[in-house]
Amino acid sequence: MVASSAPGSSPVEQYNYDIVRKFTIMALVWGVLGMSAGVWIASELAWPFLNFDIAEITFGRLRPVHTTLVIFGFGGSALFATSYYIVQRTCQTRLFSDGAANFTFWGWQIAIGSAAISYMLGYTQAREYAEMVWPIDLLITVTWVTYLVIYVMTLRRRSQPHIYVANWFFIAFILATALLHVFNNMAVPVHMFSLESYSLHAGVQDAMTQWWYGHNAVGFFLTAAFLGMMYYFIPKQVGRPVYSYRLSIIHFWALIFLYMWVGGHHLHWTALPDWTSTLAAGFSILLLMPSWGGMINGIMTLSGAWDKLRTDPIIRFMVVSLSFYGMSTFEGPLMSLKSVNALSHYTDWTIGHVHSGALGWVAMISFGSFYHLIPRLWGTKMYSERLIFAHFWLATIGIVVYISALWVAGIGQGLLLRAFDEYGNLAYTFIETVSFLHQPYVIRAFGGALFLTGTILMGYNTLMTIIKSKKEQAEIEAKIAAKLANA
Amino acid sequence: MSSEKNKPTVQTTGHAWDGDLQEYNNPLPMWWLWTFYASAIFALVYWVLYPAWPIGDSYTKGMMNEITYTTSDGKTTTTHWNTRALFLKEMQEARESQKQYLEDINASTFEQIASDEGKSAFAYSSAKVLFADNCAACHQAGGNGVVGYYPNLLDDAWLWGGSYSKIQESITNGRNGSMPGFKTSLTTKQVSDVSDYVLSLSGNSVDASAAKRGKAVFTGQGGCVACHGADAKGQTFMGSANLTDKIWTIADVDGADTAEAKKAAVMNLINNGKTRQMPAWKERLSATEIKILTFYVKQLSASK
Repeated sequence: MVASSAPGSSPVEQYNYDIVRKFTIMALVWGVLGMSAGVWIASELAWPFLNFDIAEITFGRLRPVHTTLVIFGFGGSALFATSYYIVQRTCQTRLFSDGAANFTFWGWQIAIGSAAISYMLGYTQAREYAEMVWPIDLLITVTWVTYLVIYVMTLRRRSQPHIYVANWFFIAFILATALLHVFNNMAVPVHMFSLESYSLHAGVQDAMTQWWYGHNAVGFFLTAAFLGMMYYFIPKQVGRPVYSYRLSIIHFWALIFLYMWVGGHHLHWTALPDWTSTLAAGFSILLLMPSWGGMINGIMTLSGAWDKLRTDPIIRFMVVSLSFYGMSTFEGPLMSLKSVNALSHYTDWTIGHVHSGALGWVAMISFGSFYHLIPRLWGTKMYSERLIFAHFWLATIGIVVYISALWVAGIGQGLLLRAFDEYGNLAYTFIETVSFLHQPYVIRAFGGALFLTGTILMGYNTLMTIIKSKKEQAEIEAKIAAKLANA
Repeated sequence: MSSEKNKPTVQTTGHAWDGDLQEYNNPLPMWWLWTFYASAIFALVYWVLYPAWPIGDSYTKGMMNEITYTTSDGKTTTTHWNTRALFLKEMQEARESQKQYLEDINASTFEQIASDEGKSAFAYSSAKVLFADNCAACHQAGGNGVVGYYPNLLDDAWLWGGSYSKIQESITNGRNGSMPGFKTSLTTKQVSDVSDYVLSLSGNSVDASAAKRGKAVFTGQGGCVACHGADAKGQTFMGSANLTDKIWTIADVDGADTAEAKKAAVMNLINNGKTRQMPAWKERLSATEIKILTFYVKQLSASK
């Protein structure tokens, strides 16, 4: 299992772990950078002087830097790492083409890095979660198609008769993301050497396309793919079979069929025709139980191993991630109803909801999976189990503080904006609804800082683990060399 | 659910991956299935009640959910449920709930509003938000303005007149205030002398002979009297400032610590002049809203 440092010196390892290690390290690097950007812009909202009148670091430019680094930098790299690991281990075959895999690594990292820099310089497509200018979009397209080819070719080379459930989710994620990325980013550059472009869609259809993309980025990138991660690492970590094969089939197909319809619920009470957003709201309600299917399958797989919760911090990450997954997939359909949306839309409730999914579900399941994965990738134990516990508590408390603060902020703001006095006049001025947010914003920034601290601990723990692994490796080689010399 | 009970009865699917990865073949949890059916019924009912499914060029309109509303020009419409109709309906209800108050305000003089507790309470309730959302960006939340930029509304000194009708006119049509700069037409010495004179008008101690020379420039070559008047009390028809009342809206004399700094502030203004603009609000606010704001702004300074 241990990597051979010099290719050719020993037989090539059975699986391509080198690519998994690279993506794992970059996931943590982007995670720390992206969450730092998040804490910084959260602080800018609480204390606007932190903009320092420097255009490059104002909220408007750093916000897409934050979302891109955490969703695509951290989340995306985590998915590349785990999917490449899982597909090899469950197909019992080496990844198709090391060169192509390396291409996806560099393509993806360059896309993320140049996106972040271009946002700070002020270049953006102004499409939420797809702000990248068109040359970066092209790079992503090529990278992603290569990813698809590698994945399909590896599956075809499998020495197992059946395809494991985690791979269904990854394939759905890769296909859907390709579709979403291409159709949402159709644009005509102003001229060949310009980074600016015009969208091919116009007006409300453009908005509709944007949210068809935006919500499916949540559905396929941040949900389906991480369910794939869940379906491998939870049964592996607890050493028990997945609870129900039947449930996994039903909720998989329901999930991927239903998600495609729901983007319109982001555009309630806008110029989008009412039927379009009602249709989306109905499908959002239908989506509740298919989402919970994944949670049930995870939780029931864990059940029977509850005693391990006391000693195994990795299982704690997994339980908390599933709990937040269940919570936010309940909250989502609720917020998709027009009457609830009238209160919640354009308030911080939405941001709180996104983070209960992003921090609670996506980040926590990734952390749990990485703590399982890292010792196996570097052939040693984690440097410190106490740091894993510390990370768990910092992250969990951080999320709870963050989400509660934004519930207060969002619901409070929504209620202030629609309050009337006994004369039928607005009860609060606009500025009162803004200054009300200061306190919740301070608490939110604090919660985010706790979460970030946990992630930094993980980065440190991983770094020390890698150093430890190299040392152990060197010792073993020295011993072997000594033995050979004696013989 | 206890796993001990489960294990003997439930089989795995018989496949294994990566050594020990297996799947039980447990049936779907019944509560899960029934809740899924229930959510499907909810979605169906939602789709029946609201516009939902596209059919050709049209769409299902929703049932038992019609909205009838009357717009402000008296046109009544009945339509299937939609966001815009709901908005217009709510606006109609809001209009109707305020109708009596607004009619009272329109029918009353400012003095009548001030003396009637009910009317003035309504006016204050309405003006608080109107002022904060429209006026406070310049005149500040409390109405105290910013020296050099936006007039203070609390001090009962009015460049354009402080009567109800003048204030109403200012808000409705806006104002353009402009004082020219004298850098080119007067020498530095003359500007300095005029500044001493102007400062002396509001009781600042200055060099008496300089002030005397300044007065000659003020009434003579400088031409200051043309706007500020022979008595230097300003003229409200053109918004020229009263220079005798110790109130400084542009040159920050009150904020200066030393006599030199006070004079420098005045000289700077005379040298460079100042143009200010208050936008017209008649396109943005209704006549009634402007009337309410007029009342409110007048009360702000009267209460001082």
